[in-house]
Amino acid sequence: MKTVGARQVWAVEEITAALGRRLEGIPSVWVEAEVQNLRQRGGQVYFTLRDSHQIEASMRTVLFERLAVRPEDGSLVQAYGRVEFWADRAQISMRIERMELAGEGLLLAQIEATKGRLARDGLLGDTRKRTLPLLPRRIGLITSAVGAARNDVLNNLWARFPADVVLADVPVQGEGAPRAIVRALARLNALPEVDVIIVARGGGALEDLMAFNDEQVCRAVAGSRAPVVSAVGHERDVTLCDLVADRRVSTPTGAAEVVIVDRGSLEAQLIAAQRGLVRGLARARESSARRVDQRTQAVIAALRAVEARSESRVSAAQSRLAPALRRRADAAALRVPVAGDRVERAVRARAATLERQLVGSAALLAALSPARTVARGYAIVRAPADDRPVVSAAGLHKGDVVELEMRDGRVDATVEGVRR
Amino acid sequence: MTDDTRPVSFEQALARLDEVVARLEGGEVGLEEAVALFEQGQGYLATCRERLARAQQRIEELTGGSDAEFGTVADDPF
Repeated sequence: MKTVGARQVWAVEEITAALGRRLEGIPSVWVEAEVQNLRQRGGQVYFTLRDSHQIEASMRTVLFERLAVRPEDGSLVQAYGRVEFWADRAQISMRIERMELAGEGLLLAQIEATKGRLARDGLLGDTRKRTLPLLPRRIGLITSAVGAARNDVLNNLWARFPADVVLADVPVQGEGAPRAIVRALARLNALPEVDVIIVARGGGALEDLMAFNDEQVCRAVAGSRAPVVSAVGHERDVTLCDLVADRRVSTPTGAAEVVIVDRGSLEAQLIAAQRGLVRGLARARESSARRVDQRTQAVIAALRAVEARSESRVSAAQSRLAPALRRRADAAALRVPVAGDRVERAVRARAATLERQLVGSAALLAALSPARTVARGYAIVRAPADDRPVVSAAGLHKGDVVELEMRDGRVDATVEGVRR
Repeated sequence: MTDDTRPVSFEQALARLDEVVARLEGGEVGLEEAVALFEQGQGYLATCRERLARAQQRIEELTGGSDAEFGTVADDPF
């Protein structure tokens, strides 16, 4: 500084030095702004940080290249650094040491990072996805009790099937949401018969859906005992929860369709099965009867074949037999007359002997006959009641009527007395 | 054919039912086997129908535990 007349005159250097001293001591801060005019020169990356105002900034290229996500022109970032003052030109800029995407970019970057970890642990593969049961005994539903998703899911479920549901009411966005969802998963998994769990939320902005991109939520979904259906957001919203879940549906409405079979079509299927059983049994019975028939036919055919063979053998035998028999008969015929004479003589001799014996026997018989006895003066006494001879006095009593057979007639008599 | 142990899940019963129907309808089973399959099928059908009859459209809310752990209920956009 010099004094010229009444005036104090300063050098620029003095002014900038004074400004520099005033700016000393401003600590490093986080600043959120949009990155613009990114360019690299030398070992530095230069850019403008801008909101309604702007400030030039720089970052060492080696640091910039190590950023998890490198901002581009237009990226919203949060940058950490200190204010630098370039005295020779009286320029102020920021020396940035750390920089992260902010806003949606930050969220997307976070999601990417989480996705990378989940993928590394093998939680995103299709191979680990489980098949959902056709007919869960109970359905766990994790959603907000006051959200539209709840009624959406329930109404669509019940339109298909009168399913039994266990509802876990959780906040679906905000700071407490991830923890509440993790806890609800654990509690539902601890309940018996909960065969599937639906995690549901309506659509929303990216930051509203962040609970479903939360790493702990994703790990809990992946580790769930019961298969999990993720019904979060609308068609265009894909969350990490969708990726780790066993099944993703684009809307809560779609959840019902994958979670439970339609009652009507199931009943139709059972009726069809019942008919199939009856039809199958009938067919087996018919085919069995047919096989028996076929076998019977085969046996009959076989028997006929045997019979036919026998007949042909018999007729062959007959044709051989007939001449043989005829020859035998002819030979026999020659011998018959010779034999006949001998036989006749023998028979006659025998007959004569028999006749003689017969005459002798007849004489003997005649001698023994009662008639001959009666002819000699004896009488046969009979009881007229039975016409048998009375051979003992013991059977007779005074007054009994008897019949006496004499040589020339019969006499009725009455017993006068019995002496013994 | 799988064994006769009663299937525990509806899905198993339905799958075995389909299997039995397919075998029966495929023909080439003897009458005795057909009768056995038919009876098994009836059993699976009964299991399925029993399960159908059990569902009663009940809704139960998970309560208790420490609701505080659920955090504050956020505004739901709906």
